This record gives sequence, C-alpha cells and structure tokens, in this order.
Amino acid sequence: MMAANNYFGFTHGGTQYGAATAGAAYGGQTGYAVAPAATAATYGTQRAAATGYDTAYQAAAATQAAAHAHAHAAAAAASAYDASKSAYYQQAAAAYPTAAPQPQPAYDTTAKPAYSTPATYAQNNIIIQGGGRAGGGAKAAYGSVYTATTAAASYPTQPYSAPAAQAPKPATNRGNSAYDTALYNAATMYVAQQNKTAANTGWKNYNKSGVGAGQTRRPKPPPKAQQLHYCDVCRISCAGPQTYKEHLEGQKHKKKEAAAKANSSGGLASGGRGAGGAALRCELCDVTCTGADAYAAHVRGIKHQKVVKLHTMLGKPIPSTEPTKLCADKPDGDKDDEDGDEVQPVGQDYIEEIRGDDGKPLSFNCKLCDCKFNDPNAKEMHMKGRRHRLQYKKKVQPDLEVKVKPSMHQRKLAEAKAQRMLVRDEMWARRRMHEGMEDEERAYWEGGAEAWWARGPLPPHMHHHHHGMGMGYGGVGRRPETSDDRHVLARHAEIYPEEAELQHIQRAVSHTEKALKSLSDALADQARPKGQPAKPQVKTEDKKDEKPEGKEDGRDNQLFSFMGEGESGAGAAGAGGAGAGAAGGGAGDAGARALKGVMRVGLLAKGLLLRHDRDVRLVVLCHDRPTVTLLKRVAADLPAHLARLKGSSDEPKYKVDLLPAEGAVQVSDGNVNVLVSLTSAVMREPNEGGDIKRDDKDVLPRQKCLDALAALRHAKWFQARAASLQSCVIIIRIMRDLCRRIPNWTPLNPYAMELLVSGVMQSAGAALSPGEALRRVMEAVAGGLLLEHGPGLRDPCEKDLVDALGNLAPQQREDLTASAQQFLRQIAFRQIHKVLDMQPLPKLKAGAGWKFPRKRRRSNTDNDHDTPNGEGKIVKTEEKIEAENSSAKK
Amino acid sequence: MVRGSGRGRGMPGRGGMGRPPFSRPRVMMLRPPFDLILAEPAFPRCKPAPDDTALTQALLKRHAELCPTPAEQAAVLSLVTKLQTVLDNIVVAPGDFAACQLEEVRQVGSYKKGTMMAGKNVADIVVIMKTLPTKEAVEGLSNKVSEELNKLMRAEGLGNAGSACHERGFTVSTGGGAQASSAVRVLVTTLHQNLRKLEPEVHLDYKVISSHLAAIRHSRWFEENAHHSSIKVLIRLLRDMCARHSGLEPLTPWMIDLLAHHCIMSNPQRQVLPINVAFRRALALLAGGLFLPGCAGLPDPCEAAHARAHTALDLPAQDHAAATAQTLLRVVARGGHRYVLGLQAFEGGKDISTEITVWDGVVVSPLAPAYQETPEPMDTDDKDEEVPDGVAA
Repeated sequence: MMAANNYFGFTHGGTQYGAATAGAAYGGQTGYAVAPAATAATYGTQRAAATGYDTAYQAAAATQAAAHAHAHAAAAAASAYDASKSAYYQQAAAAYPTAAPQPQPAYDTTAKPAYSTPATYAQNNIIIQGGGRAGGGAKAAYGSVYTATTAAASYPTQPYSAPAAQAPKPATNRGNSAYDTALYNAATMYVAQQNKTAANTGWKNYNKSGVGAGQTRRPKPPPKAQQLHYCDVCRISCAGPQTYKEHLEGQKHKKKEAAAKANSSGGLASGGRGAGGAALRCELCDVTCTGADAYAAHVRGIKHQKVVKLHTMLGKPIPSTEPTKLCADKPDGDKDDEDGDEVQPVGQDYIEEIRGDDGKPLSFNCKLCDCKFNDPNAKEMHMKGRRHRLQYKKKVQPDLEVKVKPSMHQRKLAEAKAQRMLVRDEMWARRRMHEGMEDEERAYWEGGAEAWWARGPLPPHMHHHHHGMGMGYGGVGRRPETSDDRHVLARHAEIYPEEAELQHIQRAVSHTEKALKSLSDALADQARPKGQPAKPQVKTEDKKDEKPEGKEDGRDNQLFSFMGEGESGAGAAGAGGAGAGAAGGGAGDAGARALKGVMRVGLLAKGLLLRHDRDVRLVVLCHDRPTVTLLKRVAADLPAHLARLKGSSDEPKYKVDLLPAEGAVQVSDGNVNVLVSLTSAVMREPNEGGDIKRDDKDVLPRQKCLDALAALRHAKWFQARAASLQSCVIIIRIMRDLCRRIPNWTPLNPYAMELLVSGVMQSAGAALSPGEALRRVMEAVAGGLLLEHGPGLRDPCEKDLVDALGNLAPQQREDLTASAQQFLRQIAFRQIHKVLDMQPLPKLKAGAGWKFPRKRRRSNTDNDHDTPNGEGKIVKTEEKIEAENSSAKK
Repeated sequence: MVRGSGRGRGMPGRGGMGRPPFSRPRVMMLRPPFDLILAEPAFPRCKPAPDDTALTQALLKRHAELCPTPAEQAAVLSLVTKLQTVLDNIVVAPGDFAACQLEEVRQVGSYKKGTMMAGKNVADIVVIMKTLPTKEAVEGLSNKVSEELNKLMRAEGLGNAGSACHERGFTVSTGGGAQASSAVRVLVTTLHQNLRKLEPEVHLDYKVISSHLAAIRHSRWFEENAHHSSIKVLIRLLRDMCARHSGLEPLTPWMIDLLAHHCIMSNPQRQVLPINVAFRRALALLAGGLFLPGCAGLPDPCEAAHARAHTALDLPAQDHAAATAQTLLRVVARGGHRYVLGLQAFEGGKDISTEITVWDGVVVSPLAPAYQETPEPMDTDDKDEEVPDGVAA
C-alpha cells in the first residue's frame, strides 16, 4: 500500500523517533510543514522559533506557493494545519501510531536529518500530507498521499478539491470557515476511524519497530459518498472509486506524478525545457503544444473540452484560453521573433492533389512521406511538421534545418560516446605516463643509477610488451602464380624432353665431338710428315698429348677447340675469328690445323630441344675454306675414330653419311642424328680475289658455310641475351611447339621467333611470369608487329640491317597476325589451354595456394592420385619444372 | 591470385600475426600491353618506314569532313550562352524558384572539349544541385529554364526553345528553320556528399548522377592535359570510326579521349606523334588487347587509384571490340584505310570488320569471338575479379 519511498522516509523517521519527546513534537511540525518548499536553512530557523510557527508557517507557505504556482494549495495547507492541529490534540498520541500520518509527532526530530536533501524532503512531504495538515507540498503529492493513507482514497478528495477552487485567496490564513470545518470534519473522521480500527501500537512500540510500523496494515477508510473522483495530477475524473484506484496505480498517472515532482523540485518551467522556445501551454490541461496551430487544435479538441466541462462542474476556475508562453523570462521582442520564425511550409511540389470529378481536391498525397490527408488544414500542418521536414531534408534538400529533438536513443548514444572519449583520454593519459616511466627506465639503464627508484632489479611491471611487434611482416612471399602460368608450365612440362632422351642425345654428341677431336689430331699428324703442300692440311707441330685443356667435349656449349697448348697462339686467333667472323686466316698457314674446333649450335646449344627432337647440329671450324675433299676425308675417317672412342660396348652403332650438298656429314646412331657442318671464318670475307683464285668446285657451298657460321653466332647471341631473360627460354620452347603444331605459324623461322620473343620480353622492362610472357608475345604479334608496315626484326648478328623475317609472304604475315589475335583473346578469356593445345587444368583448391604453396602442391598430388584422368601427373611434373628450368636456362 | 574465393578463411598457424591478405594483388600485377612505340629500343626499325602519305591524307580529309560547320558551331554557341545565362541567374538569384537550389553550372562534354562532330550539335551542361535531384526538381528546373530561355529568345526575336525531361536531366533544343538546329543536354547531378542519400525511386539514378560528376572531372582533366589539337583530331577520327563499326560502338567517349591522348602523347620523347602513327598505334593497341581483361589498360586519371578506363565495358563487349580492332588493323595494313575511315562506303555500307575481304590476293578475314558465356568451371580462379572491377569503375 505504502509506496516504497514513503516507507523509507518513514522508517527513517522512526529511528529518530525514540529521541523525540511529545512536547517537542510541535516545533517539529512547524518546521516540517514549511520544509517541503523551503530550503534547509529556512527550515532550521523555523524550527528554532518553534513558538512563532504560525507566522513563520504562513510566510513559508507563501513562498512555497509562489514557487509552485499553487497558491491555493498553500492556503489549504495552512488552514488544514490549523484544523488538524486541534484534531491532533484531541486525539491521544496513541491515535497515530500506524501509518504515514502518524509519525507526525516524531517529525520534529526525525525530520531534521531527513530533510537535509531535497529528495528526502519530497518523500517526507508526502507522508505528512497524509496527516491532512500540511497540504502545502507540491500538488504532485496529492495523489500519492491518497494512495498511502486511504485504501479507497475517496475520503480526502473533498477537502482538497474544495480549497483548490478557492485558490485566489491564499493569503488569508483561515479565510474560509466552511473550508476549515470541512477539513476539520475530515480530519476528525479520519482519526476516529483510525482509532477504531488501528492496532494501537502506540509510540513506544512504534519506536521500537520503526520498520514494522510502516508495514502495519492500513485500515479501510469509511466509504464516502462522493460521486466525483478527480485526480488532480492528471486532471481527470473517474467514474468510480474502483477506476480511480486503478488510475492511481496506473502507469500513466505515476509518470505524470513523477514529472510533476521533478517539476516541483527542479524549479519552475522545467516542463517547457524540451519543448523549445515556441512552446505554448494549456494551463488547464497541463498540455504543452509546439506551436500556435497545435494549441488552437488542442483548444478545439475534445479532450480540452472535457476538462473544461469537468472543471466547470467542479467549480474550479478556468484559466483563459490564452496560451501560457513558456520561457517567460524571454523578452517580448524575442517572442515576436519566434512567431515570425514559424517554420515555412516546404515541399509544396511533392504534395499531390487528388481531385474528384468536379475538380475539387478530394485528398492530398504527400509523396515524400507517403501519407494522405483529406483536409487542407491537415496538409498545411503536415507541411510544417517535423516528420515532413525530415523527409524533405532527407530526400530533397540536405541542408534544411530541422529542429532536433534528441530522442532517448540519441541521447544514449551521445552519452556512450562521451563515455568512450573519457575512457580513451584516460587510456592515453595512462599510456603517456607509462611512456614517461619508460623514458625514465631508459635513462636508468643508459645513464647509470640516476632514476628515481633505488638501484636494483627493475620492477616487474616495466616489461616492454611491444618489442616483438615490428616483426609481424616478413618478406613478401613468392608471387602467386596465375592460372595462365600454371597452364604454360604444365604445357612446358609436356613438351620438355625426357631425361633419357636428353642423355641419349648428349652421349651421341659427345662421342662425335671426341671423334672429331681425334680426327683433327690424326689429320694434323698426317699432314706434318707428308709435307704435302695441299692447302687445307697445313702441318702443325706434332702434339700428341691427350687433351691437356682438360675439356673432353663441347658440353658447355662453347667452342671446343682441338688445339693443344703449344698451338694456342695461332689457335686463339682462329677461335676468335670464328666468333667475330673476322680473323686473318690466309697468313696463318704456318701453325694451324685443318680442323680447329667444334661447337654446338642450334637447338642443342640454346637448350631448346623438345620431346622427340632428334636432329642436332655441330659446326666444325676449319682453318681455311672447307673443301669437298676435306669433307670426304672426314666422312671416311670419322667412323673409325668413333668406333675407337666408343670402346667395347657396341650398342650404339654409329653410321656416318656424307652430305656434300649440305656441306656436312651426318653422324647417326639410329636414334639421334648429329649433323656436322664444316665452315670457316674465311668464308665470310668478301675478298673477291680469293674466291676467283680458289677452285670453286672443290670448296663447299658458300651459302651453307655462311649459314653454319650464322648458326654459331646465333648460338652465342642466344646464350648472351635470351637465356638470361626470365621465362624467355620456356616461352621460346612453347612457341617452338606452337610453330610446329600450327600451320599458320610454321613459316616463322626459329631464329626470327627467338628474336621476337626475346625482344618482347626485353621490352617489358621487368621479369614476366610465363603466362604473362606468352600473352605479351601474342599482344605484340596481334598488334601488327610482323605486318609489312612494322619495323621488322633486326638481326643483331649481322652488321647490316637485315630483317630476320624477310622471307615471309604477305599472306603468311596476315595469317600469323590473325592467329595471334585470336590467341590473345583466348588467353584473355581464360582459354589459354586452347592456345597450348591441352586439357584445361583443374582450378586450384582456392585459398591454400598463396599461403602454403608447398603444402598445396603436395596435397594436390596426393589428392589427384586417385583421379583417373591423370591430372595428378601434370601437377607433379609441374613441380619438377622448376628444377629443370634452372638447369635449362644456364 | 590463386586463392580465389578462399580469402575469407582463417590463417591457421599464423593466427596472431595479423598479416592481412592482399586486398587486390591482381590489380597490382596487371601489366600494360605490348606497345611498339614504347618498345622501340627492342625492335629497331630494320627496313624503310612505309610510305604513309596516303593514310595521312585520308585522315586529314576525313577530319575536315567531321568538323562541324561554322553555322552549326554558331548555333550551339548561341544556345549554350543563353542557357548559361539563364542557369547562372538561377544560381545567383533563385527568387521564388523553389523546386531546387543550384550550386554550380558547368559545361562539359564534346562542346567543352572542342571535339564536337559535324551533325551532332548537342552540347552538354552539368547542373550541380544543392538539393537532391528528385524527378520533380528536374521537371521544375526544366520548366523554369525553358520559360526564362524563351523570354530571352523572344527578346532577340528568335524561335521558341523546347525542353524535354529524360533520365539524365533534360534537353533544351531549338528547332531548325533558318538557322541550324542545336540542342543542349542539361545533365543534372548533385553535390558529392549527397550521393549516398539518393534513393532509386525518388531521385535520378545513382549511376547517372555520378557519371555526370565524372563528366566534370573529365572535362577538367581534358582541359589541362589534352588540349593539343592533334589529340582532338584523333578523337574525332576515332569516334567516327567507332560509331561506324559495331564492335567498337560500346567504347565511351571518355575511353576514346584517353586512348587518343595516350596514342599521341605517351612516347619516350614526349613529343606529339604524327597523326598517321598515332592512328595506327590506336588500332594496334586495341588489337593488342589494351581493353581486354587481365590487361592494365589505361588508368583512369579521374578515378581513384587502379581504376581502369575499359572496365566499364562488359566482357563480351571487350572481346568484340578487340576482335573488331584486330580485323580493322589488318585491313588498314592492306591499304583499306579509306573504308575504315569512312571515306568510302564498303559495298554499300557494310561493316568491313565483319566481312572477308581480299586485297592483292591476300585474304583478310574477321575473327570469331573468344568470349564464352559459360567458361569452363574448372578454370575460373583467375579472371573472376574482372567483373567486380567493372562495377567498381
């Protein structure tokens, strides 16, 4: 029954109560009655002047009334006090023990400490009002008073509502006798009733169990024959006691009550705070309107009318309909401003009129807010309304000013933000402090024991936590390979010759080279004793020692010189001439052999062999012009030398064929064909005299010899330039494969293709991954590099401007370009496998690749073992490629 | 780029190290295409340069045809000036005009850049609204503008101007009659900070609005970087060529601007290249996959870093454009530039890029598209990002 806060105030009083005496009670009452409105100071003085309480009280009541703008209430309180005073005297103290009203006598003493804060004030206030004497409290108190004291709550209505009607005469203390008597009656009745029903604990009891006293059951008040149940807080009337009670216990009422209380304690006009300057207030209904329009609407409204009716019935004064302006402290000029400031309606364009058949507007539709009105007034209101303005701001004019009404949510957000800021500031402050301490710590270590703390071990909390933080970022990992790269590498693995194949070729070539060396030695030996003046066989010094150079064949793809140490002088000149193509050959008769050296050229030297390639080339440099005679001699003698080298094992049976038209002999073991061309640097010299003098029939075809020389230079160029470019060798192998497969590309000669690829790679300016490199080659050809108007491919191995492409016919160029264009677009659209003529590779298991490349590979091969289509093989070989690449590119 | 869709996965074993996954490594790895002009050191010319006078003559002749006549220019100029006056008035003194508030009015597009073509007398003006561009606001502005414009026109004794709204804004046009007809498209956009407030059903389309903002940036860039007349000549020629070949039609004027600028200005010597060289280069670049996926293409100077100009095209369009340019390149190489430039209609107006042609016994045939609607699902890890790229740009 009793509200908890009452309870609290009460118990509080109870504890103090024991110290109090009955006689002192009165002074306490005085002080108390004033207390609700006055400050603690006022309270103190009044208490001190206990006797003069009447006047003091009046004054206090007056202030209070002014403060609350409830003068009538104060008056009521004053008179009520008088009335009840006698009531109290008449009744014994024992009459008061049970509920809220009863602690009164105690109040003098209790109240003092309890009133030290306004909050408790209010609480106590309520309790005392229950006594029916101190009505001066905030009007908010009324409601709760009733709840607290009477169950049916019907009883006090009368006395309180009556004085309210007489509000205009607050000053007269006992102004109205009728009122007094009414009150008196009420009080006596109340007391009598209490006496009858109360459990009569008395004060001592009360003293002992202050808490228990509050809990004691409230006796039911006698039913009162009052028809009107009016709630002064909410200004409504209820149909019956039951509804009234329900109302009083209801949420709405409590809310209003709390608001009113806040109002009274927080000073005046707090209610107008949120509503802004333009707020208008209807005193009667206690309703705040945001504007004149809203106020007018309110006054017209049924709710207001009801209240007016009710008040008329009750005989209460009805304030004029003129609105009360809140913010009364503002000067008038300001008010006018505000009126002028009234919001302009916006967004007229967005209100659609829906017209009836007769062209009269039937209704309006606001397109911004998506709502309809039937009334033009409503439309006008809407256009000025907050919601509409917000929509307008949102959808049309972002800089429109709309008054912000901070909602609960926003306020909470703002608070949270402030809180965060606070926390952050604190954190920074703490960090700064920490850093400062660290500085000191450093100073301690660096500068000796100068720090503020004693020399000794560091305090444990000084650990640097963040030292490890700089290491988070390691080196950037390997660039992830793209799908194009994987395809190119997979294709490359397919076309790359097998290990056995390579060894086979290697062995055949090596044998041929060694045989040529021994043949050269034999020729040199032979030539010397004979002393024959035959031109090619110039005698050299007899040197039998076996390869003092320590080089057994041309495995390093450099010139494999046949000369011994002693002949190095002349030999060096010859060898140099082979490379540069210019050396004095004519005069060197004295100390030169016929066959100076051999070098691997072409695919073998460049490392471009593909699977199933069988033909490799060697070029033997001769001292003078190679003749048919010499060639025949080589062809005749070579088998014997080969057989001797091969030794016992007879599995490779070498066959040597003479190809005079090619200017070469071909060594074949049935599997690998080694073409050995004879040439000489002398052939390049343009000395006509020599040619004429020479017996042309005997000399090998000039063009073939020049080709062989060019092949030598190409091999050297390749090793110097192309092989060093990343991905270049792989792409040239891929392109060789492409040229072999696709008819359109066949006309492109290998050397031109190599020039093209290396040029493309070189111009990229950076290392390219295999996929990028292939695409770039296609881009170059697709862009018309090989067409007639293009620059051509300049042969770097010729002194003159020679186009390495020169032999291409227009249609061939056209077809090459068209094919490259198609390929380029296929590469761009994820169809590189079509270009490479292979099955598309499965998509990699996403996510693993770039993080753990190794692991991914391994797991992939593992997974793919059980896939039937052999994809696993490709991936596995891909792994091998890297090792191979490094060896292939050397 | 191997990781594909796996970027959401955690990094077991690396838990706390916090190495972020590369956000867009693909973009970083993109390379510019092979460009013969830039690659000249690697491919020195080893045969005499072809005689290009015929091509140069043809280019210049065609350009003369494409330039608007003085009458056309005057007509557009007069209309633009009036419109600018009207709009400026609204910006400065809106008076009782409340449908919208204007922030700024700018001329953009081919009129501003000086690359207008004959027969297309349409200038563009971008209006930046301070308020949000609702359809009603556009309509209100359109009415207001045509009303004011007609006042001006009547004062000068000229005919009426009509205005019509569309999804980009509205177009003000003057009828033909004695003077050449001309039109001004007033493109509506709004302040940058308003962009995110746009709602599709209330306002103009977001893409349209932002493209108009981009148009302002484009014309500013053009003014600063591409004012050389060679560039303008090449732009006209390329725009005309693109308009006449179906595959190249999707290229936007902005792409053509960038391409022309690149072809003329981007060379080691920083010299303005002759028009014939630049024209061949433009074709070669397009044929060489400049605008194909996986290529760095041309960086868009008016967008954030890494934006590529060509990603506005969808994939089939990129394929088609490249294939068309490739065919045209070979046609020009065979001496068919008169057809490509439009000096001579090919067999009654056929698109030469789709026909098999024979030049001196050399057969030049068009190429099949490479793009497939449903590429093999196995091999999609690589270029997936092209599509979002396009959206981003």
